Amino acid sequence: MGSDRLLVIGAGPAGLEAARLAASLGSQVLVVEKRDVAGGMPIHENYAALTHGFRDAGEAMAELIGAVTSHPNVELRTSTEVTAVEGSVGEFTVTLSSGTGDDTVEAGAIILATGFQHFDPGRETQQYGYYEFPDVITLADAEAMLKAHNFVRPSNGEVPERVAFIQCVGSRDRQIGNEFCSKVCCGISSKQAIEVRQQVPDARVFIFYIDMRMYGYWENEIYWPAQEQYRVNYVKGIVTEILSKNGRLLVRGEDTTMGRPMEVPMDIVVLAVGMEPSLGTRKMAEMLGVATNKYGYIETPHGELDTVATSVPGVFAVGAATGPADLDDSISSAGAAAAKAVALLRGAEVTV
Amino acid sequence: MTQRVNPKVEPERVIELEEVVLEGMDISGHWNRMFEQRVIWDYDVDAMDRIIDLDGGESFGWCYQCAQCVAVCPVDHVGSYGPRKLVRWVQTGMDLFTSPELWLCTTCANCLRVCPKEVNLMEVMPAVRKEAVMAGHVPAELQDVFEKTARYGNPLGKNPKRRHAWTKGLEVEVPLISDLGRKVEVLWWVSDYPAYHPRGIDASRALARVLHRLGVDFAILGPEERHDGDSMLRAGEEGLFEMLAEHNIEVLNRYEFDVLLTTDPHAYNAFLHEYPKRGGTYNVVHYSRFLADRIDELGLTEEISQKITFHDPCYLGRHNGEYDAPRELISALPGAELVEMWRIRENGYCCGGGGGGMWLDGHAADHQRMRLSEKRVLEAVETGADTLCVVCPYEVSRFEDAVKSTNNDGRLQVLDIAELLAQAMGLPTD
Repeated sequence: MGSDRLLVIGAGPAGLEAARLAASLGSQVLVVEKRDVAGGMPIHENYAALTHGFRDAGEAMAELIGAVTSHPNVELRTSTEVTAVEGSVGEFTVTLSSGTGDDTVEAGAIILATGFQHFDPGRETQQYGYYEFPDVITLADAEAMLKAHNFVRPSNGEVPERVAFIQCVGSRDRQIGNEFCSKVCCGISSKQAIEVRQQVPDARVFIFYIDMRMYGYWENEIYWPAQEQYRVNYVKGIVTEILSKNGRLLVRGEDTTMGRPMEVPMDIVVLAVGMEPSLGTRKMAEMLGVATNKYGYIETPHGELDTVATSVPGVFAVGAATGPADLDDSISSAGAAAAKAVALLRGAEVTV
Repeated sequence: MTQRVNPKVEPERVIELEEVVLEGMDISGHWNRMFEQRVIWDYDVDAMDRIIDLDGGESFGWCYQCAQCVAVCPVDHVGSYGPRKLVRWVQTGMDLFTSPELWLCTTCANCLRVCPKEVNLMEVMPAVRKEAVMAGHVPAELQDVFEKTARYGNPLGKNPKRRHAWTKGLEVEVPLISDLGRKVEVLWWVSDYPAYHPRGIDASRALARVLHRLGVDFAILGPEERHDGDSMLRAGEEGLFEMLAEHNIEVLNRYEFDVLLTTDPHAYNAFLHEYPKRGGTYNVVHYSRFLADRIDELGLTEEISQKITFHDPCYLGRHNGEYDAPRELISALPGAELVEMWRIRENGYCCGGGGGGMWLDGHAADHQRMRLSEKRVLEAVETGADTLCVVCPYEVSRFEDAVKSTNNDGRLQVLDIAELLAQAMGLPTD
């Protein structure tokens, strides 16, 4: 075996957790992050509170970043990209590029933690007028406003009276090509609905959905409190289109439980955009030659009992690089990948 | 008033007033025809807020529209009403406080049985109705009963001094506890319909004979007893309930007895769950259980060669868990065969009399295809039974009316279990 170093690509929650665990198991870890700060989407997209425990995102991520950077076995390089990979399991040669020039490092195993990007609701269709109406925003936009405690109509800075969330934007859609459920949006919309009600108590919040996918404890920890304590109104039936009328947004669709057409004015409409593989995920997959599925996510082809090994020996993938994942999923897969990678570096047999 | 103008139009959404004169212009009939708004323009969230802000109204906001309740709501089977629909109508702005829909729920509790979110209409309905009652939004027929009950102590508006008149001419003694001046083993809480309604009286006289044959040391309150108030509470007249409960507790606390025997499951419910909160705690037993525990002593010797079906009262069964006692008694009748309807026990269909429904038949008729009691009688007939046996005094009159209105006169008789027992014991009849 050439190198006993583990390379983690991506310093989001999954990458950081994989690095922390591998380091604490005694391995040398190099974490490479293309952005200038670690923390991944929760930091980059200004998350307010984490789903599902409502913990402050900045605080939680700072703790994780601190655990990684303070560990003597870890080196974290930000503003650094992987530009070439050669070799195979046990002896990868990786070229890293940064503002200060190129560098070559050896690694025995690689963990891909390159994550997702939010679906751009203006990309495929202008059904909801995301590019047209300033008050039509995405979950990520709303998250940033909530973090700043400034949840107002982008068009005029006014406090909204009516806020609507539209679920499944860019997910579960054959025409768009994302046939999968993005798994987290129902929970995040409901979490944000609660935060809107906390920050703007006079605003009323509506969530238009196909079916609420609040699996596990999200049901009782998010969905039920949103409905019962915060009086969020759940309306079954996805909005078909958004029009502008008298300076407000008119959401049009069917209230399916009433069996009647619905045209209701709103001040802010939040599109619950789903996940897509990030550009980094696509690029790294191609560079490393790991198989991806038709949606561009990295495949973990070994079935339910090995969720982190890819088609290339010595290369593991974690978190939302392999498909829609919430934080719990990402942290769990990071742990699994760290353990398997460390075992591999030590020459232990790990069967899958 | 409305007519079908086009098969594609839902008739209930067509509004057409028979006679309208507007500024001297006669626009009667189709000249004023309008169609109800189809598009939902807005969601008035205040309509729901006003309910969930009430004590007891909270759970109305918990519904997530799973719709399990609708399949077991007895009202839904005869109209367009249903608990989850009611929630959704309110969520879209319907003012339940002034809506006729407020008075359709019989508090039968079958929706709560199947509700994963524990939306409790048994609490919501009284809370909303209480506000409606205070604001004067009460169907006239129910208001009339409230007033009669307040004035006379019974919903029939009968002379309270003659509450024990049903005992006249009985060959067995039914003493008033006030006359005995001593402790009794059993104080029998007779209730209103058993004291005043002709068919209720038949059952009371039968039960008096049965108790006498058993050698039970019993007495009644007679004029001192007033309506238990349970149904008034469900119908939103909390003040009236408090007044009745206060009086009844004061009277009951005056006497010594081991068992408070109730004929009426609604009274049974009040004594179990409401009176103790107000200082009235008694060893209350429904007569079906009291008699079932004494089956061997009843001396059931006479053949009752009938097919008998049994209707579970909501306030005995679902509300208080007693399903077996009446069935034990029916099964003990010599020669009788118990044939069950398809909705029984926990899933028993409501007769329509609970929650104030006893006094809202006119209102219900305006909003339902048929009475719940009629629906139930048809189910009873379907079993091929000769007799529909009941153990709730609201039911004899309701079901007998329904037998007539569904043209089943002569095909099905409605009898209280006490009447059947008295017959099987060879006791005299009137």
